[in-house]
Amino acid sequence: MAIDCLVLGAGQEVGKSCVVVSINGKRIMFDCGMHMGYTDSRRYPDFSLISKTGDFDNALTCVIITHFHLDHIGALPYFTEVCGYRGPIYMTYPTKALAPLMLEDYRKNMDRRGEDGQFTSDHITECMKKVIPVDLKQTVQVDKDLQIRAYYAGHVLGAAMFYAKVGDAAMVYTGDYNMTPDRHLGAAQIDRLQLDLLITESTYATTIRDSRYGREREFLKAVHNCVAAGGKVLIPTFALGRAQELCILLEDYWERMNLKVPIYFSSGLTIQANMYYKMLINWTSQKIKETYATHNAFDFKNVQNFDRSLINAPGPCVLFATPGMISGGFSLEVFMQWAPSEINLITLPGYCVAGTIGHKLMSGKPTKIDLDKDTQVDVRCQIHQLSFSPHTDAKGIMDLVKFLSPKHAILVHGEKPKMATLKERIQSELGIQCYCPANNDTVTIPTTHYVKADALDAFIKSCLNPNFKFSKSSSVDKSYSGSNDSKAIPGLQVSDERVAEGILVVEKGKKAKVIHQDELLHMLGENKHEVQFAYCFPMRTERLEKTRSEDLPSADDLLCGLDKCTLISLLSTKLSNELSDGNIQDLGEQLQVESFCLSICLKDNCPHRISDSVQNDSEVVFCCCSWSVADEMLAWKIISIMNNYTLPLEGRLQVHI
Amino acid sequence: MEQLVMNSIEQSLDNNQPLSFQTLASIRSLVINPSTSDSTLSSVLNALTRSLQLSRDSVFLHHVVKLLTDLSSRCPHLSPVAIDLLRSNSLFTSSDSPRLVGESLSALVSLTSSQNDVDDARFVSLCLSPSVSVRLWLLRNAEKFAVRDSVLLAVFLGFTRDPYPYVRKAALDGLVKLCEKGDFDDHDVAQGCYFRAVELLCDAEDCVRSPAVRAVCGWGKMIVVSTEERNKQDLADAVFIQLCCMVRDMSMEVRLEAFDALGKIGLVSEDILLQTVSKKVLGMNKEKIYKPIEGLEISASGAAGAFVHGLEDEFSEVRMSACYSLRTLTVFSLRFAGEALNLLMDMLNDDSTVVRLQALGTMHHMAISNNLKVEEIHMHRFLGTLFDSSSAIRFVTRKILKLAKLPKLGLFKLCIDGLLGNLETYPEDEVDVFSVLFHIGRNHGKFTVCMIEEVSSELEPAFGGKLGFDSTRVAAFLVLAISVPLSHEKDARGVPPRIFSYAVTWLGRISHALSDLMSQETLLAYLSECSRSSIISLADFKIKDALPTVEGDMPSHLCSDVGSPVRIPLWQQDGETSDHHHTKLWSLGKSATHAEYELGEHDELRKSLNLIFRKVKDLWPLVQLGCTNEALKAIRACKEEVASYTAESPGSAGAVAFTLQYLRITKLLVAVWEHLLLTKKLNPYGVGKLELLLAKLDRRLREINNRFIGLSKGEELQIMDLIVVACLLRLSKVEIYCYETAMKKLSSTISHVEFLHKEGSIEPSHFMVEVKKSLHEVGSSIGGNTCKPLLFKKLVDSFSFEQFVLCASPRYLNAELEVPGNDSESPLPFISGIPASIPLVITLHNISSDNKLWLRISMSEESTQFVFLDLNLIRGNNEVRKFTFVAPFYLTPKAVSFTLRVSIGMECMGETLHLVKTFGGPKCELTYLSPEKEIFLCKSTKC
Repeated sequence: MAIDCLVLGAGQEVGKSCVVVSINGKRIMFDCGMHMGYTDSRRYPDFSLISKTGDFDNALTCVIITHFHLDHIGALPYFTEVCGYRGPIYMTYPTKALAPLMLEDYRKNMDRRGEDGQFTSDHITECMKKVIPVDLKQTVQVDKDLQIRAYYAGHVLGAAMFYAKVGDAAMVYTGDYNMTPDRHLGAAQIDRLQLDLLITESTYATTIRDSRYGREREFLKAVHNCVAAGGKVLIPTFALGRAQELCILLEDYWERMNLKVPIYFSSGLTIQANMYYKMLINWTSQKIKETYATHNAFDFKNVQNFDRSLINAPGPCVLFATPGMISGGFSLEVFMQWAPSEINLITLPGYCVAGTIGHKLMSGKPTKIDLDKDTQVDVRCQIHQLSFSPHTDAKGIMDLVKFLSPKHAILVHGEKPKMATLKERIQSELGIQCYCPANNDTVTIPTTHYVKADALDAFIKSCLNPNFKFSKSSSVDKSYSGSNDSKAIPGLQVSDERVAEGILVVEKGKKAKVIHQDELLHMLGENKHEVQFAYCFPMRTERLEKTRSEDLPSADDLLCGLDKCTLISLLSTKLSNELSDGNIQDLGEQLQVESFCLSICLKDNCPHRISDSVQNDSEVVFCCCSWSVADEMLAWKIISIMNNYTLPLEGRLQVHI
Repeated sequence: MEQLVMNSIEQSLDNNQPLSFQTLASIRSLVINPSTSDSTLSSVLNALTRSLQLSRDSVFLHHVVKLLTDLSSRCPHLSPVAIDLLRSNSLFTSSDSPRLVGESLSALVSLTSSQNDVDDARFVSLCLSPSVSVRLWLLRNAEKFAVRDSVLLAVFLGFTRDPYPYVRKAALDGLVKLCEKGDFDDHDVAQGCYFRAVELLCDAEDCVRSPAVRAVCGWGKMIVVSTEERNKQDLADAVFIQLCCMVRDMSMEVRLEAFDALGKIGLVSEDILLQTVSKKVLGMNKEKIYKPIEGLEISASGAAGAFVHGLEDEFSEVRMSACYSLRTLTVFSLRFAGEALNLLMDMLNDDSTVVRLQALGTMHHMAISNNLKVEEIHMHRFLGTLFDSSSAIRFVTRKILKLAKLPKLGLFKLCIDGLLGNLETYPEDEVDVFSVLFHIGRNHGKFTVCMIEEVSSELEPAFGGKLGFDSTRVAAFLVLAISVPLSHEKDARGVPPRIFSYAVTWLGRISHALSDLMSQETLLAYLSECSRSSIISLADFKIKDALPTVEGDMPSHLCSDVGSPVRIPLWQQDGETSDHHHTKLWSLGKSATHAEYELGEHDELRKSLNLIFRKVKDLWPLVQLGCTNEALKAIRACKEEVASYTAESPGSAGAVAFTLQYLRITKLLVAVWEHLLLTKKLNPYGVGKLELLLAKLDRRLREINNRFIGLSKGEELQIMDLIVVACLLRLSKVEIYCYETAMKKLSSTISHVEFLHKEGSIEPSHFMVEVKKSLHEVGSSIGGNTCKPLLFKKLVDSFSFEQFVLCASPRYLNAELEVPGNDSESPLPFISGIPASIPLVITLHNISSDNKLWLRISMSEESTQFVFLDLNLIRGNNEVRKFTFVAPFYLTPKAVSFTLRVSIGMECMGETLHLVKTFGGPKCELTYLSPEKEIFLCKSTKC
């Protein structure tokens, strides 16, 4: 089994996100975005790679859209209405609500520029009819095998990460997400899932951002200082997202500081969007959700509608106006009026497309800006650049990957060199196989496959009863540690072996079974065989110089006279000195350590004896030992100890006893 | 109806049929019905008893258990019978259904407080039975049974491997509780538990991860304590980093636990702390790998940005916890405190009021512990909070400003402007703002003078002799101005006297604002005094001394140790603790005989001294962690600080001397404690050293006990606590103690304490109660001759260092010895064999004629001689006596010259001398009141 991951867009670039994933026979398209930088065919993903014949309905099980940004949804009307996909499309409720606004706005702009929009207003409406909305953490059974579930992603209102599971293979596609909350949206939130694959965005693959508080502080300070000095503040923004965030920030500050300076919203999209925000309160941050009962944070108390006549009204004010980059429209109109006064302030968004006025203002501080041949604007006002971003930074990506710990990760939606750096980090620091495919590449990764097995009674019973064991050794335990390399474990360890004791039996043509070890013999109808090792080896004895007046007896006499018990107890003392662990039992004529058993051998031709000639038989005592397979290591250890040991007799014997 | 039901029951029982479920249901209705008569209920009980013999069906038994529980809670007089029934064989030991056993157990536990139903073996076997719910219940209620801790430990540790997450959670909770009990010395056990807890940090279930965090914290601290000194730091760092790794967990509960835990680790090295406020991995931490125990490895980079994340968390609970944890950690490193302050300043923009308050609270804590270094870039944000719409926030900000010490005039002006703005926007804050202005003025005498000079034109009466219209602003400046003569800075003068007379016109408002500092009369007297001349006379000093404590800025307000205040809004907690503090002060002061009269005096000083005591108390956890050196260093710093007070205010020598003595004692205690911690290896020379330390400690304690009079009962009791600890320390070391003497001393101290309790009607401390109890046991069980070092060690462990609150001004018994004109160049003459006379000029402070004073004159250890000083013969008041006394020295040697050491000692009652060597000397132990004075004698050349 494997997951095939075909990257149609946002592979090693930002724009037109589109990934088609085939898992266990199901094919899901995640996101269907457009590239804003192109106007030719490169604008849309190359859908022909999905199906040569154009029969998308059979080629795809479903389409999943993560959020309403055009680089994630822009190509959807084209795909459904022009290319003719008629299968199910899933997105969250807010995305479904807000996406038509975005698409319509885009289409209008295209029309205005006289470009071929490739889809019409009707297309958008028709397309939206096919959408099935989902809620957070709602598990949707797309068909018999495919389950999907949305998780909160932050980023923009309604953004979600999607979990998809077919059979045993599971994966998550993050879309864009933010791991830190902002003023109106929370941080991404997901469960600890068992994943084969994680496809994550990597916009900031190498950047590590500071706390957002610093940015907020700078912004508030600039705005406050400006209005305190009687100036006017122009905040050009996009309609959705940033405008609301900044407005909440200002509203809160106004409230706290008891400021009475008016805040205006230029009419249009922003106000409509505010209405949606008010309704979709459940998708915002914790704070807004908590206070919702008493006060809806999007019911801005200090915000009023702006009227063109107010542009030149005296006194300080703050104005939100679209579009964001002062590329035209109302924000340009206001800019022309306000820029010449040095007490006014213009805040710029973090990113401005080259060619816009925003871009000109960002690159150095020009004193004059030529709008066209005839108009020139004196720029004397203050300029403050915002650096808010709804994307997570490199640390956030790492944190998410670490938390989810998937078996494989794929990076999309980023710049190639930075993605390569992040890929290296993920592989080296987290030990997770990582890929960053280019557009139209396919990555294949193996998946888990579970075999269902029946369990027999005895095994189930043993599973019910806890059976934990404590081990108190510093030995290396391979069975225990989950990772491949064995690790040394500390002194006290606990393990519960009830599941480990099961035995998997797979018989040909039958379903696999898990049985308890006691059941095994019965099931196979076999008798129990045990492999026993035996070895008889000589031990040197040492004859000391006579220390007493008595005559030394000969070795044979010694063996008879000195009873075996003494020898055994002698050996046992020796062993207990040498072996730190192991339970040495002195059973009189035998010595027992686990299954290892040693006795003095008096037979002349013991079958286990390896008879290489020993220099003097009379100085040798034979030890006969036996052990079972499990204790082989231990046995050889003991034997090697014995081999290096000379049995002291007589004098030293006294010392020992 | 009752009768009907009873009849049917009787009937079925008589037929030897088990009760049907329907009958059981009607029994239940009888039991529940409040109007059922007692006689019916007892017959119901009888019926149930009988029916138990008839049926062993587990469903039936289940119902019976339930009924019995209800029955016995309904009428307590039947409960003994019901309990017996539950305990009886039929229910309790039915081994076929562990669930039933569990049920009857839980019924028993809810009905009785006895613990004897379950012993170790039974507990374990029940736990190991297949019923998960019983297992879970047992684990959760483990402490209700008399099960040995070692057994519990094994059970808990084992069940951390259970496949059911709630069992794992219960097991971890149990482990945390065991750890808090802290009876496990075994390093291996601690490591095993820690290792298991770390493994469970990766559990799939949130409900397991959060107790796992607590367990990592608890057992982590345990392994830190149980390792040797040189590895401590690394280990603590490793535990800290391990916890830092959890701050990015997806579950809010886990993150909350993680930040709560971070604040509890205590000792963390600066490198790691700095890493927590930077998301980028710092150079010094790049390659750092910690290996706290075999098999665990953790890289320092794990700590990266922990607090950055915590402070911008989505949940205000987590942000508060992070703020709170910072307060304990900023103590360890000034650099870290600076970095943390940058983050905290940003928190002042937080959208949640409680978080902003907590951030300010942490700053206030930093200000108290001298870690707050506010920089210019912060000022805008910080002073912005003075305009906050929440009055609680403004209040805390001003409280911080009261403590502020600003390095630059510019900053000072910004602050004043901020306060004036505050006053303008929120006129209702006037009282507090004036009070803060007064404090700031006193803290920054010179800046205030500059400021007043600049605005003096505003203060001058406008045309027509009236003061300006912007009166509140002028009043504010006047308050600032009049604080200058009371400035803490020397030579800060130069406010024109007429300003003070202007201030008189606002007397009412100003005195209202300063009502906690001085009364209207005092203020008026002070203002008129100052308006008369620009040179500040001595009278002002009296006023300065007479300034009573400001309740509002008692520093203990914010830093009091309330477990984790995260869930309590700050103002509430603030109020509670200050109340608590207040009552404590009050109860201590109440018993003082004359303390109340003196309460007004020396309060400024006492306040700072109490601050020192607080610091000392806060050090104690460090000592328990084994960071003796750090603690000693801090105490030394305190000593220096206290020593600097002496010159400042002459009237309060007693309090300063007392504090110094107290610090010396703490220092010794700390040193002794170190020996106590090293249980395993006490080298022989360590014993000697310890003995020396203990002797020194005894001497110091004797001094503090005898040389200060005028302590309140409460204060005396606290000293008694220390004496008892010293005795216990001695007793707990087998190598050292002289059992008899120490025991004797202990019991005499205890009885003295009892006496004090009775007289002052004060609650004894928890520790004292423990000691008394155990002492009673020791006394009753054996004749008192066997040693129980373990018992004593345990008692010592139960000692918790309490903050000393100085509320009276103790007087210091002191003596000075002088031999005018004697030094090695000009010795006194003597003739060998004939007694020599030594003319001593003696000054005695605070010594009444009841005290028995002795002159100890010694040439060497062997030839020591005591001379009694009869105070009745000497005139003078008790305060100070100065007189000349000619002391004879009899044993002049045959030598050309020799030196004598003379000192004055006072007999302390009740402590008899054991080594009576001298004849005619003192009968009791002496407390020496003066340092030894060396006197030089030379053979007279005249003869």
